[in-house]
Amino acid sequence: MSEMSMEKAELALPATNDVIDEEVRLGFWLTLPAQCLVLFIAVFPILMQLYISMTDWSPLDGIPWYRAYELWIGLINYTDLASDSRFWAALWRTFVVMIVCVPIQFLLGLGLAVLFVDEFPGKRWFYSTLLVPMMVVPAVAGYMFFLLFQSGGPVNDLLSVFSSSPVRIAWLSDASLALVAVMAADIWQWTPLMFLILLAGMISVPQDQQMAAVLLGASWWRRFVTIVLPRMKTIIIIALAIRTIEIFKIFDTLYIMTGGGPGVATETISVYIYKVTQQDLIWGYVAAIALVILIVLSVVSAYAISTMSKGAKVR
Amino acid sequence: MILLLLAISLVPTLWMLSMAFKPIAEWSASGAELTWWPKSPTLDNFRFIFGQSSSELIVSLERTAARPIMASLLAASFGTLIAMTAGTAAAYGLSRFGKGSNLPLALIQLRLFPPMAVMIPLMIMWAFLGLIDNWFGLAVVYGIVTLPFAFWLMKTFFDDMPREIEDAALVEGCSRLRVFTRITLPMMRPALASSALFVFILNWSDYLIALLLTTRDWVTIPVYMTSLSSSMTGQLYGAKAALGLIAAIPPVILGIAIQKHLVRGLTFGALKE
Repeated sequence: MSEMSMEKAELALPATNDVIDEEVRLGFWLTLPAQCLVLFIAVFPILMQLYISMTDWSPLDGIPWYRAYELWIGLINYTDLASDSRFWAALWRTFVVMIVCVPIQFLLGLGLAVLFVDEFPGKRWFYSTLLVPMMVVPAVAGYMFFLLFQSGGPVNDLLSVFSSSPVRIAWLSDASLALVAVMAADIWQWTPLMFLILLAGMISVPQDQQMAAVLLGASWWRRFVTIVLPRMKTIIIIALAIRTIEIFKIFDTLYIMTGGGPGVATETISVYIYKVTQQDLIWGYVAAIALVILIVLSVVSAYAISTMSKGAKVR
Repeated sequence: MILLLLAISLVPTLWMLSMAFKPIAEWSASGAELTWWPKSPTLDNFRFIFGQSSSELIVSLERTAARPIMASLLAASFGTLIAMTAGTAAAYGLSRFGKGSNLPLALIQLRLFPPMAVMIPLMIMWAFLGLIDNWFGLAVVYGIVTLPFAFWLMKTFFDDMPREIEDAALVEGCSRLRVFTRITLPMMRPALASSALFVFILNWSDYLIALLLTTRDWVTIPVYMTSLSSSMTGQLYGAKAALGLIAAIPPVILGIAIQKHLVRGLTFGALKE
């Protein structure tokens, strides 16, 4: 907090003890509600989760959760998890979606940003229109793509134009194609986000170096790779991180399009947890899964944040 | 090139729009021919979801869309209020006095977690408190989930604000709290408004949380929309499209209105403009 003390020093205030006291007190009260909410949603539930994950408790057992110790099974849920092939398959599927969608969204977003960095007539209008997909409620977007990929829907209709016979692919009930449809929806909805962030980053790259490079006769591509992209490094990392995290949580669009089906063909980690929660009702086990995911994510994110803030300092 | 991309970004929305205005004969499952635009546009789908049975659809709804719309509005607005109140206060406290310096990271972590991963304890707690299927219970969760956005947005706005005016008032002998409520907050009105709209869009867009925490009386629009298909009539494509359209319009309009601040909000203030 060295920054703060410097700011205090700059303030040409009658820095009496009263003022300082008042500030400390006010600062405390102002942050209190947020602190409480975080405790309420994070700390207490996680302790509760740890407790329930050691039991075989389910809401149907007829005993309240705080007496779940009667069904104590220790670490059985965790060992079960290690050999739960459906869980690992769901995790793998989530990674597949991530590995396919994030790079495509990034490249499309970057390409669009390049197009939009220069002025052209109607730019503002085009810009707003391109942002529409990401503002559509994800559940509704899921329904839109559910409609598009019907066997008698527009996607097949469009494909029919290019082939001699009418195409009637049942996208969403074909185990190998359903995931493609789901990824198409995600790419459609979230490429604009990449575009928005990358464009903002590209605009903020200072012009002077680029001008100098132009005078020296550097080609556009060379300027882009050697000046613009390196300057956008932090922003690119932020954009990629946001999308990676969000895709890990993917649920709404996917669940409405396929419900995780056919079978388990599009079951990602969130859909899997949801199904075990709502259909199988083995909450002790769900608590164990959720806790493992939370711990892994915390470690990964703590590492990512520390690397990023280190990187920011070096810059 | 750009025109093609524009087309791609608009077609799914337009297709649903056209669905919403199609009469049943044009969208029923057996519906023979695919038409890009309704041949005989009708408002039947909208009438249907608000409880008026149409001539062609013999079924009528057990519960209309009016209540889910109200539930969505109430939960999203109140959730926004909670997030903005706690977020703005904390942002100011941290921006000016450096209090609660563990908050920023805690809040980012909160945002990283899939909501699915804390739902079990939350559902148990909410059942215990009688907050399941209750708009207020939903609003509290929304408030917590969107708190990181409210906090980070307002923090960057406070950080940007010049302090000379506040300092002047302090020298005049105003108390810190008075400066905050009488000078800073009124000056921040545009920032508060766009942050609130941003948070509202996020709350309005939720599906998963409402799916888990509401069952009947307070289901929100997306949950209600999916339940429309499970009735014995099969898929009610047109009606669902009409409802989807109603759900999609507010965020799109609000989103375009606060376009300028979208980047800031979505990147937790790491990027401005």
